[in-house]
Amino acid sequence: MTEFITEEMTLNMGPQHPSTHGVLRFQLTSDGEVIHSVKPDVGYLHRSIEKIAEKVTYHGFMPYTDRVDYVAAMNSNFAWALTVEKLGGYQVPERAEYLRVIAAELNRISSHLIMLGVMAMDIGAVTPFPYFLRERETINDLLEELCGARLTYNYIRIGGVSSDLPDGFRDRALRFLDHFEPIIDEFNRLITYNEIFVNRLANIVIIPREQAIAWALVGPNLRASGVKWDLRKDEPYSIYPQVEFDIPVGKGEVGTVGDCFDRFIVRVDEMRESSKIIRQCLDKMPEGEIQSKLPRQLKPPKGEVYVRSESARGEMGYYLVSNGGLNPERVKIRTGSFSAMAIMEEVSKGIMIADMVALISSLDVIAPEIDR
Amino acid sequence: MATTASTDAVPGFRGTYFGRIKNAIISIMEGMSVTLGYLLQRPITIQYPDRTPKPVKDTLPERYRGILELDMKTCTACLACERACPIGCIKIEVVKDKETKKRYITRFDIDIAKCMYCGLCVDPCPGGAIRHTNEFEGSTSDVQYLVRRFVPPGERIEPAKPKKKEKEEAGAEGS
Repeated sequence: MTEFITEEMTLNMGPQHPSTHGVLRFQLTSDGEVIHSVKPDVGYLHRSIEKIAEKVTYHGFMPYTDRVDYVAAMNSNFAWALTVEKLGGYQVPERAEYLRVIAAELNRISSHLIMLGVMAMDIGAVTPFPYFLRERETINDLLEELCGARLTYNYIRIGGVSSDLPDGFRDRALRFLDHFEPIIDEFNRLITYNEIFVNRLANIVIIPREQAIAWALVGPNLRASGVKWDLRKDEPYSIYPQVEFDIPVGKGEVGTVGDCFDRFIVRVDEMRESSKIIRQCLDKMPEGEIQSKLPRQLKPPKGEVYVRSESARGEMGYYLVSNGGLNPERVKIRTGSFSAMAIMEEVSKGIMIADMVALISSLDVIAPEIDR
Repeated sequence: MATTASTDAVPGFRGTYFGRIKNAIISIMEGMSVTLGYLLQRPITIQYPDRTPKPVKDTLPERYRGILELDMKTCTACLACERACPIGCIKIEVVKDKETKKRYITRFDIDIAKCMYCGLCVDPCPGGAIRHTNEFEGSTSDVQYLVRRFVPPGERIEPAKPKKKEKEEAGAEGS
């Protein structure tokens, strides 16, 4: 009888693969179904946004920040505005701060809706996806009324925002939230606690607390591992100190803390918190200016600054060096998806290929955000 | 550090074998009850473009950022929009007549194919001459048709006179 020879198989997952959320390639070495090593190959969506920043003005870079993370473009705008304002010491009117937070939190909800829907679809549940998208559609309509665009908002300006709330926006936003909060429970009935779904996610790819910190996971991925760290609370910016909200963390509800299910449920809970923030902001919002007087040709003083803010995918940081001229000297963008990609290689040893699909979507990576 | 969750590390974590089958059936039924609730409701999707009750263009909000439009009658040729555009899709040429010392616009092109609808050109316009329309269906058979020429080739148009306040603003930008 001849000896049965087995060898490892190298497999390419992507760049065109429905579960890689954009153009992203993984080089897998697998023994049948079990993965031995995963090498993420990033860079297919590199659009040299950081280099473009050196060629355009400070105001002119704002539309490009939309393209860094197009699913949560408002948060990306917000981070860039905060960075330039910190470097130049520009003031922002209070009403504009409230408008920014309302827009950013609405966008956070819509970004999480996409993630939850897509994750369910990757696992194999196609039905929830249109339900999640239906809710996102209402948010898109609201943001379209507010700033005129559905995806690449370019709403937040340095020193304020581009436009005030349109007539009736407050009522429509509150009506949406009234409708949306019970819908989250409906989603939980529809998919979250479905036994098959739970079995697919619970105890899969556990990232313990220490490992999550050591690999610099950020945002909801970090919180799912049980670390209570949210820049909106721990390093507050804008008007976040004045609103009350909780930080949901992974509790290991059906498995172990830091598994794929925790990364899913943390985002579900975060949508509730975001909706709480929007309600408070709509109530507390003062009257007044929405844009402070700044020169059209912005020339922040010489210097460098790093500002981070909590985007839907975690910490979004802009490192900006200014030489006192019209264009930035250097811009470096740090994004949550990039940190999430880094940990892939470490945690995916020994898991099944089907579980890796769950892992990728649970980390909520957006390919253009990895590459910029 | 135990980082990986191999398949045999997942014992039956939620109840017995039959208990889990029961849970699966109950939770699927629960999910079905949600979807059944929507079965009798009116669909929320609409068929674009020919089955919409009225054209989508008319249902868009006032602030919608569609294809750019220019009102030549109010344009003062201050070039603020050209300067604000991050990608340079607006091209304006202004000539000065040496005898009459008057300025004329000989070219005002907006390349819609390049435009990213960011709205940064609309903000600094002193007279509100350049603005976004609700038009978004811009497909053509050739990309060159997407360059909107607001000054016919070979012609020259006298720009509008800026009002006093606007003139100051326009002057301040140039500095």
